[in-house]
Amino acid sequence: MAEPTPDTEGPTLCPHTEYAPGEPHPELPLTGASAIGLEAEVWEALRAVEDPEMPVSIVDLGLIYGVDVGGGTARIDLTLTYSGCPARDFILQEVAWRIEQVDGIDEVDVNLVWYPPWTVTNVTDAGREALERFGLSVST
Amino acid sequence: MYETIDALNETQHRALETLMTTMADDEFVIAERYIEWQVHAPSLESDLALANIAQDELGHARLWYDVLDDLGHTESALLYERDPADFRHSTLCELSFETGDWADAIVRSYLYDAAETIRLDALAESSYRPIASRVPKIAAEEAFHLDHAVAWLERLLEADDGRQRVQAAFDRLYPHALTLFEPAVPPRLGVHDDDLAAAAVEATIVDAGLRSASLDEMADEWRTTVHDTAEDLGLEVPTGATVPTMTGRNGEHVDDWFELYDDFTHTYRELGRTHTERIMPTPDDG
Repeated sequence: MAEPTPDTEGPTLCPHTEYAPGEPHPELPLTGASAIGLEAEVWEALRAVEDPEMPVSIVDLGLIYGVDVGGGTARIDLTLTYSGCPARDFILQEVAWRIEQVDGIDEVDVNLVWYPPWTVTNVTDAGREALERFGLSVST
Repeated sequence: MYETIDALNETQHRALETLMTTMADDEFVIAERYIEWQVHAPSLESDLALANIAQDELGHARLWYDVLDDLGHTESALLYERDPADFRHSTLCELSFETGDWADAIVRSYLYDAAETIRLDALAESSYRPIASRVPKIAAEEAFHLDHAVAWLERLLEADDGRQRVQAAFDRLYPHALTLFEPAVPPRLGVHDDDLAAAAVEATIVDAGLRSASLDEMADEWRTTVHDTAEDLGLEVPTGATVPTMTGRNGEHVDDWFELYDDFTHTYRELGRTHTERIMPTPDDG
């Protein structure tokens, strides 16, 4: 199967999927820039989680596909850059642990998703800068 | 489109369980076999390529095992506590030729990856969202596997000795590759070699649209692809190849599998583990 063609305007879309109205993540990356209150605190906690191999936040890598906070529960949809990621459990556990520390959150539901597939187009400008400082140049 | 497990009825649950078990087990077991070749491959680059392909396949196995989580099966229990006879991978994946021929490793990879491409196309159109949504990620990572196998086939075929070895491997492995397209007997019921149960499950998989093509259709497509490639490369396709009695899919496995199972569960048993623990929230819990 051919590799999906990167689309500089946004995530690569699946040619086999019908996009019904209300598709959960039309715009990636999500950074929580407009979040307020408890949700903003959850985003702050997420921002503190770094990729174990690179000093860059998982938010700036564009791994977060959804944050839903309500009734003391935070539900996080996130993806990984690679299906065979050896740090999967580390990242998922750290996400859960950091969000549990947020006052007002009693329950965390970390939901691993794979669609749309992550590509470097997901990385934020801040993420690019962090990666460049680390010695990795990201071009798309 | 079925969004979640609750949208499927009980018969469809069984079909989903069977389909995902075959996919995940194929990927897991072939990854274990790739890893054996890391120390035998003829160059450091090919050591790396096999290690990388194996890592991809382990990742893909995880993605498919995760789908089974919605049916109450944890990845860890599926791998370390399941009856080895309940695994449903094809015999192509389990054959051991650790001390065999590099051509075996390459030909198996070619035959498997040719099938994988076709299967993923059919799963991309799955009516079950958790399947369809995983395919683009997997397909993107699979793309180079087939290129790697074909590049090595071409290289091996440049010399007469290599050509003989590739042809011999092709003849040996082709019948086992046919088992990739055999219907699977539903696992965990203590039933093996039950053609009727396997056919019923395959009918449900197709009727419910869990996979958009039938095994027969995919087998035809695979045969066309493999035969065309063989012709281009000057290889002879074994004539009159028949499906082995043990298909893996029917719960009947060659001895190599049981040895591999003992190996990869060895440490788990040695540590006295009798149950698995969840160490993290479960992916895909909705």
